Amino acid sequence: MDWTGSFRKAWVVTALTLRYLLTTRRAIATVLLALVPLILTLSLAAARVATFDVMLFQQLMIPLFLQVVLIFVTLVNATALIREEIDDNTLPFLLTRPISKPALVAYKYIGYLVAVLVVLIPPIVVAYGVTEAYGGLAFTTDLDVLGGFLATTILGSATYGALFLFISVLVRRPLAVGLLIGFVWESVVDSIPGDVPKVSVIHYLKTILKDVIAIAINPLGQYRTDVSAGVAAGVLVTVSIALVILAAFVFQQMEFRQKAG
Amino acid sequence: MNGVVEAAAVSKWYGEVLGLNAFTASFGKGITGLVGPNGAGKSTLFKLLIGQLHSDQGKITLLGEDPWNNVPLKRRLGYCPEQNQLYGWLTGQQFVETLLRLDGMPAASARTEATAALKVVGLSSAAHRPTRGYSRGMRQRAKLAQALAHHPEILILDEPLSGADPAGRVHILRTISDFAKDGGHVLMSTHVLYEIERVTNNIVLIHNGKAIAAGNIHAIRALIDTHPHAVRIETSKPRQLAQALARMEHVVSFEFPVADTLLVRTRKPDAFYKELPQIVSDTKLDVRGLESPDDSLDAVFRYLVG
Repeated sequence: MDWTGSFRKAWVVTALTLRYLLTTRRAIATVLLALVPLILTLSLAAARVATFDVMLFQQLMIPLFLQVVLIFVTLVNATALIREEIDDNTLPFLLTRPISKPALVAYKYIGYLVAVLVVLIPPIVVAYGVTEAYGGLAFTTDLDVLGGFLATTILGSATYGALFLFISVLVRRPLAVGLLIGFVWESVVDSIPGDVPKVSVIHYLKTILKDVIAIAINPLGQYRTDVSAGVAAGVLVTVSIALVILAAFVFQQMEFRQKAG
Repeated sequence: MNGVVEAAAVSKWYGEVLGLNAFTASFGKGITGLVGPNGAGKSTLFKLLIGQLHSDQGKITLLGEDPWNNVPLKRRLGYCPEQNQLYGWLTGQQFVETLLRLDGMPAASARTEATAALKVVGLSSAAHRPTRGYSRGMRQRAKLAQALAHHPEILILDEPLSGADPAGRVHILRTISDFAKDGGHVLMSTHVLYEIERVTNNIVLIHNGKAIAAGNIHAIRALIDTHPHAVRIETSKPRQLAQALARMEHVVSFEFPVADTLLVRTRKPDAFYKELPQIVSDTKLDVRGLESPDDSLDAVFRYLVG
């Protein structure tokens, strides 16, 4: 195995993907959306809202960041990875190079993950910092909150990305299917009784937040779950890997007709 | 199977639509032109050869190997797709360089090879401009540069001259010829026949997913000698000339498409061209011009596909 050559190819595809996701017009929309939590906290601070503290920060960020921003940003970027190359007819340039289709999927996924984390993490860290500063607290006072949101951002980006990538190689209109899953299923699944919520990503993200944040400042203290943060993280990592492998397998078998001549 | 490309009864369906219909052909060394109208099956054949499609029936090989999901084979081929979309945010230099690095080439070598390839196709002056600003002809040359920059054994070029400006065509055709002279194989498609004539006599005619004729252009011409051959004659007295030519047994028909023009169809073009000067001399009719649509490959193609 030529590890140097493989690493070179991985870097090229990852860099190409990063550049594609971060420098095209899509990036403007996703960056603006990713900035919403920061804009909101800055607004609360500017308005001198008396109840603005780390509890309110979480109460706003769970529905706004985890259930809207995270899903939208991952959906828009992950579905673009393969499907837009197919639609733009640029895929033949990659597929006629000595790089296997599964490797291409894996490298693109890595590029995606780096791109969305670059977009999502700074605003949430700064928003947390603004919240603590507003309360006159040190940045390190509620690191469990920051740690919980960073962990859910990373794991959520990985899992939603893998899911939307898989959908994008399965169907021609992945955005529509992704919107249904991301904004309908993930929103209502918590209200369904029994073990059904376990068939969602948001359930495990909320489980992690419930488990890692101190109970005194945790709005998810009463969240119904029977797994630990470690198990939840394990499930999300396993599902992400499985979905990327499945996407790679489907992509390996895919034919690219484009234009029948 | 010893050809550069071997296709044995290859069929490919797109649902109900037949892309290739028991396509059988063997393409040898050098430049081979794949000629057919839009929808004939050229792009389908190329996508089978580069491994983007796999056949539903039959067997196809490129350089002796099955191309479907064959990663090592891709080092040996260069492909120029018909579509003109590039990564618009990359410059021409970055575009070629990036694709070269996917071959596992170190950055410094990729830079050198990309610069050289862009020079070969005449794109050096625009190498550092984003490709989104390129004209269609420049995009064709950029695609050709990425196809040949890694020194492949075979170039597969899908309509490489489509949309290219006159200067671009010269560069592209010269590049293709030079590549073949250096021992490379080229398979190029077009639906404009005269383009192929400039670089090769070796053609395959494809229509409705089938290879309807293959070989040297002269051999293919022999195939059509049984078909009426058209000659357009410019004369001030077309009807009198028609009367004079009517004594030729091999003349099939006369038409008067426009004023001062006679269109003759003959089954024996060689005999016709041999006898015509004498008839014109004998009758003292004024013949100002003579042209045969059959002198171009276009006529060959039209005859063979009906």
